[in-house]
Amino acid sequence: MNIKKYLDFRLLGLTGSILLILSQFLSWYSNQSLLDIYIIKTSVSIVDSFLYLFPLICGIICLVGTIIIMYNLEYRINSVIINFIGLGFFLVFVIKIIPEDLLYLPSANIGFYFSIIGSILVFFDILNILLTKEK
Amino acid sequence: MEPASAEANYYYALSHELRRKIINIIGENKYSSFTYLKKELKVSTGTIYHHLDSLSKLIVQQDDKKYYLTELGLHAYNSLRENIDTIITPDFSKKEFNSPILKGLMHLTPKNYINYNNNTRYRMLIISIILTLIGAIFCGLNGLFPFFLFFGEPPITIEFIDIALKILLSFVFVGNLLLYFLINEGICRIFYKKKENTLKFLISFAIILFPIDIYLCLRLILILTGSFDFASVKILDNVLMILFQVWALWLLTYNLSANKKLKIENALIISLLVHYGGFSIVLLLAI
Repeated sequence: MNIKKYLDFRLLGLTGSILLILSQFLSWYSNQSLLDIYIIKTSVSIVDSFLYLFPLICGIICLVGTIIIMYNLEYRINSVIINFIGLGFFLVFVIKIIPEDLLYLPSANIGFYFSIIGSILVFFDILNILLTKEK
Repeated sequence: MEPASAEANYYYALSHELRRKIINIIGENKYSSFTYLKKELKVSTGTIYHHLDSLSKLIVQQDDKKYYLTELGLHAYNSLRENIDTIITPDFSKKEFNSPILKGLMHLTPKNYINYNNNTRYRMLIISIILTLIGAIFCGLNGLFPFFLFFGEPPITIEFIDIALKILLSFVFVGNLLLYFLINEGICRIFYKKKENTLKFLISFAIILFPIDIYLCLRLILILTGSFDFASVKILDNVLMILFQVWALWLLTYNLSANKKLKIENALIISLLVHYGGFSIVLLLAI
């Protein structure tokens, strides 16, 4: 079986963005999903609570980027730019939230790992798109 | 043997590198003396006379002994300029660049600043210095710690940041820009063996600060007006930072592509690696 045939580079972006979206609804710390944390934080301080939605926003934007390249392979640079914007949201989330929640990281659950793996997959998807030679 | 007709003379003139240089020198300066041509071209007097004779339909020597372009010469000069712009501009002829995103980004790209010619070098240098100074001042006033295209929030409120710390942050901003340039230049040299146009790349490198300056200015306005405490403004601040970062990354990509003659894909790889490499370092430092 030709595995390479099925391991299309577009799958990386698709998997990565789906993982990022899923991570929003999966448990992060103490069986609480990011959505739960967002709702709790909103009641305390609305100012920074929206940051907890950034992985979801990132996942949606990267999904759009992936769909664009699936729709038309010629739109490689467009897809990369959209993925850049998507990853930008994730970077802001990681930079601002992770240091605050550092104490909880050792007990992080599946949601955290999904988001990290998702963002890495999107990163490699971008590299893969750029390194793939045009026919 | 020199061709007789104007058309043949035109194409014959453009067929030799030295003749193209002569047309460009005269075109850029409106006129040129023989001494200036000799100084610029660094070839023998006989060679220059030979090529000037070949360009008789494109160049004319007037009473002041200076060489000027004829109407046909001007046409040749404009044609050369347009072609050079196309050649030195990265491969943006693809259908993809007609998409709204890239069309928009191309509108936001100051191509003349990045693809400047030698005549405007000093003007571009001054613009670069101004952009850097503005960025440094705003960075200090915002009290942000710069790292590549990222900015760390100060641990204390801006009103309490010491003036000395603000000045220090401004210097860090300039140092950060130079470090960012060196890393980009280093990657071009090591991975892509592109050693050309280092000075041109350095002078136009500060263009990536244009979006950053706007962002820092907007952020300062938001802080000073006291609207930074509102949740919606904080969201706006984060979204703006991301969008201006992507704009800056695009300018870096274009600059790499135009000045380092890299394919747009390779230029994007460098931007991506440096940007996210920088992010990893910021994260490690934060942890």
